[in-house]
Amino acid sequence: MAERWTVEQVAAVAPAPSSIAAAEGLASPTTWVSLGADARAAWGRCRGSGAEPYETMVDHAEVAWRCSCPSRRLPCKHALALLLLWARGEVPEGAAPSSVASWIEGRDRRASRDSHPTGRDAAGDTDGGSDGSDPPADGAPDRGDLDRARDERVARMFAGLVELDRWLDDRLRTGLSDPALARYDTWDSLAARLVDARAGALANRVRRLAGLVGAGPDWHSDVLAELGLLHLITQAGLRIGQLDGPLADAVATASGWQVRHADVLAGVPDTDEWFVAGRSDVREDRIEVRRLWLYGTRSGRWAMLLSFAAYQQTLDDSWQVGTIVDADLHRYPGGSLRALAGRRHADPLPLAPPAARSVAEACDAVGTAVAAEPWIERYPAMVRAAPAVHDGRWVLTDHTGSLPVVGPVRSLATALAASAGEPVTLTVEWSPHGVTPLTLHLDDRTIDVGPRADPTFVGAA
Amino acid sequence: MTPAASAPGQSHRAAADTTGGLDGYWRSLVTAAMLGTDRRDPPDPPAGPVADLVADAQRPDGASRMLAAVGAVAAARRAAFVPGPVADAMQPPDPADQVPADRPWCSSAAAATWRELVENWPVLEDEWMLTVIERGASLPPDVLVEALARHRSDVVRRARVMLAAGPVGPWLVEHVPELAPAGTRRPSADAVASLPELPIPPDLAELLHRDAHTVSTHLADGFAAGAFGPPDRAVLVNLVARCRPAVLPEVATMLERTGVGHALMLADLARLRHRMLAELGVTP
Repeated sequence: MAERWTVEQVAAVAPAPSSIAAAEGLASPTTWVSLGADARAAWGRCRGSGAEPYETMVDHAEVAWRCSCPSRRLPCKHALALLLLWARGEVPEGAAPSSVASWIEGRDRRASRDSHPTGRDAAGDTDGGSDGSDPPADGAPDRGDLDRARDERVARMFAGLVELDRWLDDRLRTGLSDPALARYDTWDSLAARLVDARAGALANRVRRLAGLVGAGPDWHSDVLAELGLLHLITQAGLRIGQLDGPLADAVATASGWQVRHADVLAGVPDTDEWFVAGRSDVREDRIEVRRLWLYGTRSGRWAMLLSFAAYQQTLDDSWQVGTIVDADLHRYPGGSLRALAGRRHADPLPLAPPAARSVAEACDAVGTAVAAEPWIERYPAMVRAAPAVHDGRWVLTDHTGSLPVVGPVRSLATALAASAGEPVTLTVEWSPHGVTPLTLHLDDRTIDVGPRADPTFVGAA
Repeated sequence: MTPAASAPGQSHRAAADTTGGLDGYWRSLVTAAMLGTDRRDPPDPPAGPVADLVADAQRPDGASRMLAAVGAVAAARRAAFVPGPVADAMQPPDPADQVPADRPWCSSAAAATWRELVENWPVLEDEWMLTVIERGASLPPDVLVEALARHRSDVVRRARVMLAAGPVGPWLVEHVPELAPAGTRRPSADAVASLPELPIPPDLAELLHRDAHTVSTHLADGFAAGAFGPPDRAVLVNLVARCRPAVLPEVATMLERTGVGHALMLADLARLRHRMLAELGVTP
C-alpha cells in the first residue's frame, strides 16, 4: 500500500475550507458502499441525495480524482471525503473494479503520451489534444497546467499581500478605537480573502489577532504589535525575490506558501537522538494543532513536529514526552524548526533531560530566534527555575532573572506542586505574552503538563 | 490562577526597559494608533535605524510611515527579550505535625493507573487513595492537582486527597485559589478513613470472603447459565471492587473464558484492581 496521506495533505488539496468541512460530514464508512483502495487509488460509492450513489475514485499516487456528482469544484466533497477515510485507514484494501482500473489505465496512457509527444503534439496543436480517451475532467493537470497554476497562485498571493498591507494602513488611519475592530466580521472577512489568495498562514494569524481585541488592559499595544508584524511579513513577501534563500523560505512559509511533504521528505535527513521535550495542543479555528518540541541531544538543535486533527480525528501520539528517539527528521526549508518525521532507528528510551539553561540563557536563545524571524509566535526552551510571584504575576525565577508564566492553571499548579518553592527543570514554550510550562523533568519521572486538546473534540488514538 | 491569569495581555517587555528610547516611542505609537492618523499625526521616531526605515516607507502618507515604524519597533522590542527582575523565593510548605513530610510519591505507573481508573472505573478510586495513605506514600504533583480539581465539592474524597498530599496540599491550595474547596463542611474521621459501602445482594455478598475458586466458579457458571444480565452489572462491579485481592487473578481468568461481554468487562475490572494493588505494594 502506498504511503497514506495525512489529513493536512487532504486539506491542502481542498478548493476551499468549506469543501473540507462538507467532506467531514461524509467521511464515515456508513455513508459509503464498495469502498476499496490499493497502492494507486481509492474508490467507493457515496450515498448522496440522488437516487443512485455517486461513484468516486481518487488516484492518490498521481493526485487526481473523478466523481459522478454534478459539482464543478475539484476535488468535490465526495473525493475529499474518500481521501479523508483513506488517510484515516478506514478504507479496506482490495482489487480495483474495472471502472477504476480503466480510468487509471487511461491516465497512464495520457501521461505516457505526454512524455513522448507525437508529431502532432510537438507541433503545438492546441485544439483540445484529445485522442478520444477520457476528457480532462478528472483533475489531473499536465505540466503546463501545473506551471500556470503555480504562476496564478503566486499572483493571487501577491495580490493578497498588497490587499493586506492596504487594510493595515486603513486600520492605522482610522485608529484602534474604531468600533469595527470589535466585530469579528471585520477580521473574518479579511481572513476569508486571504484564504482565497492562498495565504492561509496569514489568514490564521488574522483570526488569532481578532481574539486579542479587548482581551486585556494592554490589548491596544498587543494588537498594534501584531499589525506591525503582519506589515513586516507583507513587505518581505512582496520583496521575496530580493531575499536570500533561507529568509525567503521563511517568509514564504509565514505567508502560507505550502511545501509538499514529498519535497520535504526528499531532503537530507537530520539524524539525531531526539529528546521529546514537550507537547502543546492548541485549537486553531476548526482544527486541533499539536506541536511536539524535540531537542537533538547530539546537535543541540531544536525541531518541531506538527500534527492536525479535525473533529473526531486523532492527533499523533507516537512520540512520548520524556523519551529519546533515534530518528531521521526532515526539516522544512528556511530557518523554521518545523520538520517531518522520517525513519526511526531504534525504539524510544527514557532519558534524563539534557542540562537546562538559566532564565537569562533561555531569554538569549529566544531573542536570537526572534531576531532572525520576528514573526515567530512560539519557541521552546529548557530552564531550571522556581515558580514565584512578582508584581502580582506568576513567574519562573532564578538568580539571573524571571520569565512571566502564562497558560492553563493546571500546568502552573503542577509545576508549583512539584517545586514546593524550589527550582525545577521545565520545558517551556515561549510566546510574546510569556512562557507556558509544557513538561516537568523530575528525578524519577517526566510529567507532561502542556495544554491538552479537548477530548470531546479529538478522537481517541 | 490569581496572579498570572489576571493579566494575559500584559507585556513582560514593558517592565524591562532595556531598549532605551524605543519603549517610550512605542507608547507614543500606541497612543497615536488608538486615535488613528486621520486625527493625530504619527510621532516622529528617534534618530537612528527606525527613522531611516520610516523615511524609506513605500507610501509617503502618515499611516504608511507609521506602519513601517510600528513593524520595526515591534520586531526590535520582541527580539530584545530579556529577563525580568529576580523574584523572591516562595516560602516552602510548612510540615504539619500530623503528616510526615518525607513520604515518597507513589510510582509513575500508579499515577497512570489512577488516571485510568478515574476515567473508566471510578469505583476503585476510594481504594486507590486510601491505599496510598496506608502505604505511607504521597500523591505526585500531577495526581494531586487533578484530584484536588476533581473533588472540590466532595468533602470526604477531598479530605483523603489532602491526607495523601502531605504538607504540599494546603500550601498549594493557599497559592492556587482555583483548587480551593467549594464548601467548608468537615467530614467525619471515620468516613475519611473507611471505604464506602457498596450495595451487594446477600447471595453475592457471601462471596466477598470466599476463596478464589469458589468466587470465580460462581461467577463464570452464572454467566454461562445466563443467570447474570445487564441489570446485574452494578452489583457485580461492586463485588469485584470489594472482594479479597487474592481472588482477582483467577476471577479475571475464569471470566475471560466465558466469552460473554459483561463477563469480559468484569474481567477487565478485576485485572485493573489487581494491577492497582500490586503497584501500591499490597499484593505481589
